[in-house]
Amino acid sequence: MSNSSVGQSLPRPDALGKVTGQTRFSGDLSRPGMLHMKILFADRPHARVKHVETGNAQAAPGVMAVFTARDVPVNEYGLQIPDQPVLCGPGSDKPNTDIVRCMADQIAVVVARTESEAEHAVKMIEVDYEDLPVLTDPLQAMKTDAPILHPDRGDSNICVHYKIHKGDMDAGFKSADVIVEGEYHTPVQEHAYLQPEAGLAYLDEEGRITVEAGGQWTNADQSGISHALGMPDDRVRVIYPAIGGAFGGREDLSVQIVLALAVWKLQQPVKIIWSRRESIVGHGKRHPITIRAKWGATRDGRLVAAENELIGDAGAYMYTSNKVLGNAAITSSGPYFIPNFKTDVYGVYTNQLPSAAFRGFGAPQALFMAELQMNKLAEKLGMDPAEFRLNNALQDGLTMNVGTPAPGPVSIIQCIHAARERFQWNKYRRRRTKPHIRRGRGFAAGFKNVGFSFGYQENCWAKVEIHGDGDIERVIVHHAGAEVGQGTHTVMRQVAAQVIDYPAEKIQLHTSDSATQGNPGSASASRMTFMAGNAIKGAAEAALAKWKTEERPAIAEYKYLAPRTTPFDKETGHSTPNFSYAYVAQAVEVEVDIETGQVRVLRVVSADDVGKAINPDLVVAQIEGAIVQAHGYAVVEDYRTENGRVLTDQLSTYLIPTIRDIPEKVDSVLVEVPDPNGPWGARGLGELPFLPLAPAIAAAIHDATGVWIDEIPFTPERVLRALGRIR
Amino acid sequence: MTLWQNYLRPKTVAEAVDALVHAPGPALPIAGGTDLLLDLKQGRHAPVHTLIDLTFIPEMTLLELRGDELFIGAAVPVNRIALDPLTGRHAQALAEACNLIAGPQVRNTATLGGNVAHALPAADGTIALTALEAQAEVAGVSGTRRMPFTSLFLGPGKSALDKSAELIVGFYLPKTGKGQASCFKRIMRPQGVALPILNCAVWLEREKDIVKDVHIAVGPGGATPFRATEAENTLHGQSFNSETLTRTLESLLGQAQFRTSARRASADYRRHIVGGLFMNVIETAWKRAE
Amino acid sequence: MKTTAQNLFDLSVTVNGTRYEQAVEPRTLLSDFLRHELGLTGTHVGCEHGVCGACTVLLNGESVRSCLMFAVQAHGREITTVEGLGTIEKLHPIQEAFHEAHGLQCGFCTPGILTTVVPFLEQNPHPSEEEIREAISGNVCRCTGYQHIVDAIKLASDRMNK
Repeated sequence: MSNSSVGQSLPRPDALGKVTGQTRFSGDLSRPGMLHMKILFADRPHARVKHVETGNAQAAPGVMAVFTARDVPVNEYGLQIPDQPVLCGPGSDKPNTDIVRCMADQIAVVVARTESEAEHAVKMIEVDYEDLPVLTDPLQAMKTDAPILHPDRGDSNICVHYKIHKGDMDAGFKSADVIVEGEYHTPVQEHAYLQPEAGLAYLDEEGRITVEAGGQWTNADQSGISHALGMPDDRVRVIYPAIGGAFGGREDLSVQIVLALAVWKLQQPVKIIWSRRESIVGHGKRHPITIRAKWGATRDGRLVAAENELIGDAGAYMYTSNKVLGNAAITSSGPYFIPNFKTDVYGVYTNQLPSAAFRGFGAPQALFMAELQMNKLAEKLGMDPAEFRLNNALQDGLTMNVGTPAPGPVSIIQCIHAARERFQWNKYRRRRTKPHIRRGRGFAAGFKNVGFSFGYQENCWAKVEIHGDGDIERVIVHHAGAEVGQGTHTVMRQVAAQVIDYPAEKIQLHTSDSATQGNPGSASASRMTFMAGNAIKGAAEAALAKWKTEERPAIAEYKYLAPRTTPFDKETGHSTPNFSYAYVAQAVEVEVDIETGQVRVLRVVSADDVGKAINPDLVVAQIEGAIVQAHGYAVVEDYRTENGRVLTDQLSTYLIPTIRDIPEKVDSVLVEVPDPNGPWGARGLGELPFLPLAPAIAAAIHDATGVWIDEIPFTPERVLRALGRIR
Repeated sequence: MTLWQNYLRPKTVAEAVDALVHAPGPALPIAGGTDLLLDLKQGRHAPVHTLIDLTFIPEMTLLELRGDELFIGAAVPVNRIALDPLTGRHAQALAEACNLIAGPQVRNTATLGGNVAHALPAADGTIALTALEAQAEVAGVSGTRRMPFTSLFLGPGKSALDKSAELIVGFYLPKTGKGQASCFKRIMRPQGVALPILNCAVWLEREKDIVKDVHIAVGPGGATPFRATEAENTLHGQSFNSETLTRTLESLLGQAQFRTSARRASADYRRHIVGGLFMNVIETAWKRAE
Repeated sequence: MKTTAQNLFDLSVTVNGTRYEQAVEPRTLLSDFLRHELGLTGTHVGCEHGVCGACTVLLNGESVRSCLMFAVQAHGREITTVEGLGTIEKLHPIQEAFHEAHGLQCGFCTPGILTTVVPFLEQNPHPSEEEIREAISGNVCRCTGYQHIVDAIKLASDRMNK
């Protein structure tokens, strides 16, 4: 084919605007007559709002309006369950919306002519609170005598509980020659996308309430907004300008509903930009999870039983905790066949910031446990950790912990081989440099579903237009999938280009507008290449067929439906939860300074089965980016709170990796075992390289120093404490 | 919100002092503004009426030798201090510290004067200036006076400077003579933009294997820039070997008051790692003095 | 420069080669001046704390944080923003390299990295990888993992030396 595009590292269509400063992010937008909004956040984590006095603020210079709970028609929202008030305070029809449950809760919004007038006025709002007991620890919050945070959602703070049970645990452990038990703690992680939340809302030419703010799923944003305003969906339009990173943190709504509310009431454009502090306090975080595990294996290195309990802090609201923790349940076995298996996963409401989607979606936490259990078992058995994994790796036809086989082909074995070979695992020689510097190597693996799970009928819409007369003159692809930086727009063009045999760089994209496009689904769950790829492929094929029958222009819409999945059985977890998985294995080398406790990662080899690399350079870039973010999670980032308040609420206190703080070398190995349903065999990739890094580093620290560290992050102080050098 | 209403650009030190004293409301000098601006924005600073930009005063942007001393104007960007051969020759510890302050872009505007006026006891530049026994030149209505650099510090964020009538013109450092050298290093987590966990500067003079004189500064080792005077006394006049160094470190640990900062490091951790850092710094300075 | 009745300053500054005479409030940050007054929204604000480097611009040819400067501090000086480096039709070699070598993902940090790299490559046309890493150590990127940025800078330096 002359225009073969799939498999080529073509440049990004969005790069030209981004390198010249022409690209508009939501904070860069403006419209004539635009007003400015400032939000009053709760200043405490748990309280009843008795009264909100807005008189002084309303009288302040430049103020156009102040809105509180009583102004919100349907005062609730939430991606999975609408358990969060849009604005907390008295005056709503819905009970308990006067309760503040975390610092991310919003009390009131001020709209003024200028940003500084809004900022000035918001400080003049007086809130009368009645403090309520603050629950910061999920283990406390799940006790029967704990105060209930959501009385209308039952008499317990346990908001999620999944059980997976397969086989006979007693018999399984009885047949084990070695047993490893452990307790693991994984921390909160802040997304820290570089662009803080912002948005511009206005009435479009058809009078629709239009919100331009970065998100991950246009249709979900649209229905969240319309629900709160008590309007039909088609009265609300969501458009995505350029989005400055997301990583899951933009799945839940932030500024959208209050912007829409203000535009609806004032009929004038309104804009808001969050500061970095507002961004850190205002959106959800990665779930911290406490995990207890007991795993057993036979002397010849076969896993026979594993039993886990995961307690995740959901924070104040559900967000996507039910899905994140479901995914943690599935991945808590690691990519291994374990004949007898039991996992209990809990999500618990507390007064911490809500826990939310974040790259990996529950898998990094579960795999931290599973992979360290594997490394510890291998050590006890005196086996090589990669070899031990190969012994137990899932294979086609073997049942997963949910009692059904994984959709094939299962490629974890290929990934383990690939990582081991590139790293030269079997030839590794520990180099000694200085007496206080210790080197070691570590291995870990992982897997992750692609696409939405648990019985949701996965779907994705696309439209392709082919224009011209004799020859094709113009190709237009319509797709609302969010370009959050991952490069999905590039992939979309390549897919259409490949089908139509047309130069990718000439394909026009019409992107992310809920008024003109069908449902793309979220830019999450590593699903966009798989889902949008299939949708655009289908639409392009249909349009091309029309073109060949002389239809001019040739236009086709297509809705891709992925294979069906099923939800967990309540007692056993038996299910076919996912239609596709991707697999990964990593080998790392670290250097530990036993004087300072500092951990340097010298080298990461990441072997990721991407099925088919549609754009290999973008795939490698995703791997590098995910590994550095995972390195932040494992080694650098250290989120601190005190009684529900965020202490690390700036980028000067919540430190994310600079180029000085990252692994010295990241070596990406692209494994390509095609998924039969993926476009050209592609699987999902975005989350995959994140998954095994923390346990691989932990294993390498152990190899270097002899100590296991079962809590992330591996800060110098934690390392020194583990070494017994400080208290 | 009114942060400040007046902005002046004096051309001489005298004009600047005059502006400071005669401003109709609270006035404040500004050079790079990198610290000050954050304080103003976040309301950590009392309201200011007049800002006085010092970066257009030639005297304050000089870096030159004056007799036996090196003069560094208070408004010289730290990047220039880091790269200037004069600093490299006569104040290597300061050059090293200035090369680590914040990130490259901030170093292009941030100044030592601002750093010092901020009175943070453990700032990189401050620790280096402490070990180098700098003197500060301070201008007021009655003219300029010299004072030991460390006497500018009263406590964390508290400067001895009368900010309503005085400003720092610059710093004098003794030229480095034969057998003298200095060194600055720090420990970060992570490297890059944030405040260090621990830093250390040493100036010393050697004669063969004897430490003729030594200055040791460690941050954060107290409420004001910490000179490890007891450690200096231990090492003074002694031969440079592992036994005396061990005793020196013991003296240092006996005198330093490490504290726990909620978002950065515990006192226990600082106490543990200071030994390695100190040995590294003093050995480097010792080799340089050869 | 003088103060007007409303405490505005008559600021005179050259931005991307164009001279602007504009009355500004004294407390206006340089980043806000560029973004709001001049509409040069390519300069991004990511942290307001001088940490992330997204707001980096050139002041008399040197990279500085525009979120940590008042606009009045630029009086009489020359500013270059990302918009002044090149256009889509005529890219600066560094912009070209970032486009070709995938030196970006979400692109929010990109303008600040480009404005940091321009003077760096002028002063150091043949940098080592280590020097490149040091040069961009004040710019935070949450997407790329930095390697593709380093590769793009290497590509730019190779091209510019030809």
